[in-house]
Amino acid sequence: MTYDKPLPIATDGSGPFWDACKRHELTIQECTACGHRRWPIGPVCTNCLSPEHKWVVLPGTGEVWSWIVYHQSFNQTWAPDVPYNVALVRVDGAHTMISNLVEADLDAIEVGQRVEVVFDDVTAEFAIPKFRPVV
Amino acid sequence: MDSTARRGLSGRGAIVGVGRTRMGKMPGTTALGLGLEALSAAIDDAGIDKSEIDGILTHPGTTSREGANHYLRFAEAAGIDPRYAGSKSMGGATAGALVQEAVMAIDAGLATTVACVFGDAALTGGQRFNSPNGDPGLSWGIWGMFGPQANSALGARRHMSLYGTTSEQLGAVSVTFREHAQNNPDAVMFGKPMTLEDHQASRWVVEPFHLLDCCLISDGGVAIIVSSAERARDLAKPPVHIAGMGQGYTARKSEAEDWWYLPHQKAVLDEVWATSGLGPRDIDVAELYDNFTFSVLLWLEHGGFVKRGESGAFVADGNLKMGSTLPTNTHGGSLSDAYMQGWTHIVEGVRQIRGEAGARQVPGAETCLTTGRGMALNTASALVLTK
Repeated sequence: MTYDKPLPIATDGSGPFWDACKRHELTIQECTACGHRRWPIGPVCTNCLSPEHKWVVLPGTGEVWSWIVYHQSFNQTWAPDVPYNVALVRVDGAHTMISNLVEADLDAIEVGQRVEVVFDDVTAEFAIPKFRPVV
Repeated sequence: MDSTARRGLSGRGAIVGVGRTRMGKMPGTTALGLGLEALSAAIDDAGIDKSEIDGILTHPGTTSREGANHYLRFAEAAGIDPRYAGSKSMGGATAGALVQEAVMAIDAGLATTVACVFGDAALTGGQRFNSPNGDPGLSWGIWGMFGPQANSALGARRHMSLYGTTSEQLGAVSVTFREHAQNNPDAVMFGKPMTLEDHQASRWVVEPFHLLDCCLISDGGVAIIVSSAERARDLAKPPVHIAGMGQGYTARKSEAEDWWYLPHQKAVLDEVWATSGLGPRDIDVAELYDNFTFSVLLWLEHGGFVKRGESGAFVADGNLKMGSTLPTNTHGGSLSDAYMQGWTHIVEGVRQIRGEAGARQVPGAETCLTTGRGMALNTASALVLTK
């Protein structure tokens, strides 16, 4: 199996997120001091600076906030996929997240389109969260 | 606007010299060499001796290797031992921010004459505008998001969906600035007019951006010399006063659902109106950061020139053209003059206020708004320049 596109770097901080993705769960850090959920992954709460947190599982639904289509490759590993989309998804219970839309007719997509997470098991170590329209 | 708001250092500093090199594709040039050439031109423009410069503020180009130590190498190469120096990397917002820092340093007595300098061989020197967006620990390259267009394109798409803004309206920005470049012999696109049909027929890069929605990556250098308004009165050129200053940042981008609309830019323009005591209707000419066509639309909305969502119709109605409501990017901007990370916009503003812009002079221009933005949307700065 060869997947040559950029992969996540699982660190002490981000490891739990990517481990959950392998279980096909979308998670987010929630501060146990003030309850704020932070994104992207970080060492302390962006509201109160407390390092104490737990990982909570999100429902995995959301809405399309915006999307774009690459007709030119800026990275050779993605060149075979042109044209491909990149989307900004507002995730329910969380924040906005960069991802891709799959199983989607881009000509029919509108801002506000409801979507749900699906996981692309790209390697034995990593599953990448992507979103598909909820019909 | 609250006219009783604090005025800060309004009017205390002035731009006394500007210089720009040739721009475009210039094999063999370097970021350092181009910055030095621009410095020399700005010194000549100000009519001062190099020995009078006691402050150096630099913006490392994408091909500069020195990082945060750039100011030291630049000053060494220029043969200047400054009393005050530093480098800032705010992308397209750096120029405005360095001019502000120069005014602050001069007002604090740390320097009298500060040269702000940028040079980059971005077109021929192996520029790095193709890097992945996002945070190092969670690169958006995982999802194929690379290059500078992506963030602006996401904003443009949402603006189109919410407000009915069209690709043709974006094209009107591009066509207008190309017209203006026909009056600027130094512009890369001088002598190369284009039409809206050309814009629409140009290939997609990152949809909704066509190729002709994107700026011209170029080699070149720019320098701007700042002194106190008092000292400026004795120098060669008419002083151009720095009447309004503002800068702002959105760092918590993913946690801000309106990040795409760049709330910090609104704050920056509120700040320049408050510090200058002027408002959008007082501006004679505007030089607005235009890495992409869509960027101009947001400046117009954030500055209060139009209401939210109305910028597309405003630009398509011709309001940015010479002789119209708000002549904008009179030099051709980054889209048709050259992309110098916002530095040329300040130079053009200075020339308009001095009345030395030749065929592209806005008659009687006494006030100019200049803006800049950078680092994948997240920094912004602006100046109001006055006679």
